[in-house]
Amino acid sequence: MSDIRDEMLRTLDRIVEANLTIAEREKADGNGPSAKLWAALTEQGMTALGETDSEIPFADAMALVARSGYHAVPVPLAETIMARRLLSRADIALPEGSITLAARAGGQANLVGVAYGGTAAHVVVADGDSLHLLQVTNAVVHNAYNQAGEPRDTIDLGKAKTIDRKPLAHATDVLIAEGALLRSVQLAGALSRTLEHCLTWVNDRVQFGKPIARFQAIQHAMAIMASEAAAARAAADMAVEASEKQADWFAVAVAKSRAGEAAGKTAAAAHAAFGAMGFTREHPLHYSTRRLWAWRDDFGSEVIWQSKIGQHMAAKGGENLWATLTEMN
Amino acid sequence: MPEFKFEPVTMPPEAATLRAEVRAFCAAERAAGTFTPALGSMVEANPSFSEKMGARGWLGMTWPKQYGGHERTALERYVVVEEMLAAGAPCLAHWIADRQSGPQILRHGSERAKRTIIPEIAAGRCYFAIGMSEPDTGSDLASVRTRAHKTDAGWKITGRKIWTSYAHKAHYLIALVRTSGTADQRHQGLTQFIVDLKSPGITIRPIYNLYGGHDFNEVTFDDVFVTDDMIVAGEGRGWEMVTSELAFERSGPDRFMSSYPLLVEAFNAAGKTPSDAAAADLGRLVANLATLRRMSGSIAGMLQAGLNPATEAALVKDLGTAFEQEIPEVARRILPSEPRAALPDDRYTALLHKSQLECVSYSLRGGTREILRGMIARGLGLR
Ligand SMILES: Cc1cc2nc3c(=O)[nH]c(=O)nc-3n(C[C@H](O)[C@H](O)[C@H](O)COP(=O)(O)OP(=O)(O)OC[C@H]3O[C@@H](n4cnc5c(N)ncnc54)[C@H](O)[C@@H]3O)c2cc1C
Repeated sequence: MSDIRDEMLRTLDRIVEANLTIAEREKADGNGPSAKLWAALTEQGMTALGETDSEIPFADAMALVARSGYHAVPVPLAETIMARRLLSRADIALPEGSITLAARAGGQANLVGVAYGGTAAHVVVADGDSLHLLQVTNAVVHNAYNQAGEPRDTIDLGKAKTIDRKPLAHATDVLIAEGALLRSVQLAGALSRTLEHCLTWVNDRVQFGKPIARFQAIQHAMAIMASEAAAARAAADMAVEASEKQADWFAVAVAKSRAGEAAGKTAAAAHAAFGAMGFTREHPLHYSTRRLWAWRDDFGSEVIWQSKIGQHMAAKGGENLWATLTEMN
Repeated sequence: MPEFKFEPVTMPPEAATLRAEVRAFCAAERAAGTFTPALGSMVEANPSFSEKMGARGWLGMTWPKQYGGHERTALERYVVVEEMLAAGAPCLAHWIADRQSGPQILRHGSERAKRTIIPEIAAGRCYFAIGMSEPDTGSDLASVRTRAHKTDAGWKITGRKIWTSYAHKAHYLIALVRTSGTADQRHQGLTQFIVDLKSPGITIRPIYNLYGGHDFNEVTFDDVFVTDDMIVAGEGRGWEMVTSELAFERSGPDRFMSSYPLLVEAFNAAGKTPSDAAAADLGRLVANLATLRRMSGSIAGMLQAGLNPATEAALVKDLGTAFEQEIPEVARRILPSEPRAALPDDRYTALLHKSQLECVSYSLRGGTREILRGMIARGLGLR
C-alpha cells in the first residue's frame, strides 16, 4: 500500500471517529447528509479528489471510497469523487462542494433516485453522448430515501440550471458504469465491516455456556461470509485496476455482479448470526447491512449486469469466452 | 480483523507468448483428433499427450534444470495449467505428479529419489497417485492405520489405502503411513513413503464410481518393502508434509475449472440471443469465474513469493468447487426441460449428464467443504 493511501485512510478513520457519533448518524439517516462530517472531510481535501490529472492516483481515491463504504458515511463523498472524474474528463470546470451524478437513460423529464440530489450543490447528468453540469436547487420535486436512509431524490430537468455541457462519447453508459464501479467498491468496504461486526459479536455472545463462535454452524457461516467478502473485494479491485482511465464495462460488470451477490448473502447471514440484537436500531450493524441491500441495487442490480455479461458472451459465442477472460488481466 | 487479501499478480513478460503457444498447441491437437474436450483435464488420461507436453517443457516447469526441469516461474506454470483446463486437454496421467508429488520430492526427497523420479515426471512419462485415505480414515487423516515396520534394509508396509485415484496406471504412490505410536497420538509418528506400485505385495483393485467409471482404487499393502531413501522429508514428518502439500493441491485452477467445457457448451446451446433470464444465469457464472481466476492467480503469486497461503487456498477451493457444481445446474435450465436422452449426436446432453454426476466429487476430493470451512474459520480466529 502506498504511503499516501495509508495516510489518507487513517485520516478518514480519524475524521469518522471524531465526527460520526451514533447521534450524528441518526440525524443524517432518512434526512440529509451529515454537514459536520462533510465539513471535516472538506477541510482535509478529501472532497476535492477524482480529477483525471490529480496527484492522487485513481486507485488511491477508490481505496478511500472503499473505506468510506466500510464506515457507512452519510455523505456523497463517493459521488463527488466520481463526478469530478467525469467532469474533468469532459473538460468541464470543476465546481466547489458536493456533486452527485445521474444518467438520463430514456429521455425522461425527471431524474429519479438521484443520490443526495436534493442537497448536492451540483449534479452531473449524462445524456446520450453529452455530459451536463447542472444546478438543481429549484428543481427538486421529491425527497425520498433508500432502505439505508440515504437521500434518493427526484429532479425535474426542466427546472434545472445548466452550468456547462460538453460532448462525451457514450456518456450515459459511461456514467452508469462509473456509478456501478463506485458501488462495487463501497460494497466491498461495507462487506468487510459487516464481517468485522459479526466476528466481534460471535466471539462475545455466550449461549449454552460458551461463545457462539465455538459452534460449528456459526464458524461455517463466518467462513462463507469471509469468502464472499474476499471475492467481492477481489472483483472490485480488478475493476478499479482496469478502470484507471475510464470504467471498463466488462470488469465493472463482473465486480457489480459479484459484489451484489455477496451483499445479499452476507446481509442475510449477518442477521442470522446476530439474533434479535441485530434487529435493533441500537446496534450499529444495520448501518452496514442496510447499505448492502441498497447499494447492490444502485446503477444496475447484479441481475442486470449479469445479464449484460451473458448477452455479450452469447453474441461472441462460447468458444470466445476464454480469450475474453484472459484479456482481463 | 483477519482479512484475506488477493493482490493482483504481475505476469512475467514471457507469459503472453507462452499462453499463445499453449493455446495453439491445444487447438492443433484437438484438430488432429488427439482429444475432444470432454469433462475436463482431470478426467481424461492420455500418456502420449503427457509426453508431448513434457517434450515442450510444460511439465516440471519450475524445477531445476539439473533434474530435467525448466526453471520457469510458478506464474508461467499457472498459465499452462489454466490453458490446458480451458481446452479440456487430457492431463489426468501426469496431473498429480506435476502438481504435488514432484514438488514435494524435489524439496524433501533423497538425492536418489530426485535423480530417478523427477526427470521422468518432467518428461511426462512418470505418474503418481496419493495414498492418504483409508477405509476408516477420511477427513480425519491423522487416524491412518497403515503401518510401516523398520527392517535392516528399510521398511515394510502393511495396510490398506482406498479411493486412490489413478493407482491402476500410476508408477508410484506416496503413502501416508504410521511408523510409530498409535492412532490416538495423532500427528506424531506419521511418515510419507514413495512406493513403487510394481513392488511385490501390492494389490490394486478397482472401485467403480457412481457412473461406472474407473478412477479410484483400493490399494492393499502386504509387507511391501521400501528403502530408507524413499521416505519423504524424514521419519515422523508425514503430517507436516501432507499439510504443506495441500496448499499446492488446493489453490490451482483445477479447483474451479473442471466443468469449464460445459460452460462453453452452455453458451453455445443458449444461442446468440438468449432470454435475459438465461443470460443472467450464464453471466453470473462468468462473473464468478473471472473473480476466481483473479483469486487463484493471486495465490500463484504468493506461492511464487515463497509464502504458504494455506487458508487462502482453502477459501478459493471452497468457492471454486461450489462454482463448478453450479455449472450443470445452470446448463440444465438453458434448454427446454422435457425429458432428454443423450442421443448419439447430442453432445450437450451427454456432457451435461456426465458433469452432473462427476461434480458431486469436487467438494469431497482434496478436503471436503466442511473441512475447508473449518480451516477458514481457524484463519478467522474462531477455533
Ligand atoms: C473422486 C475422488 C477421488 C479421490 N481421490 C483420492 C486419492 O487419490 N487419494 C486419497 O487419499 N483420497 C482420495 N479421495 C478421498 C477423499 O480425500 C475423501 O473422500 C475425503 O477426504 C473425505 O473423506 P471421506 O470420504 O471418508 O468422508 P468423511 O470424512 O467420512 O466425511 C463424511 C461427511 O462428514 C463430514 N465431516 C467429517 N468430519 C467433519 C468435521 N470435523 N466437521 C464437520 N463435518 C465433518 C464431511 O465433510 C462429509 O460431509 C478421493 C475422493 C473422491 C470422491
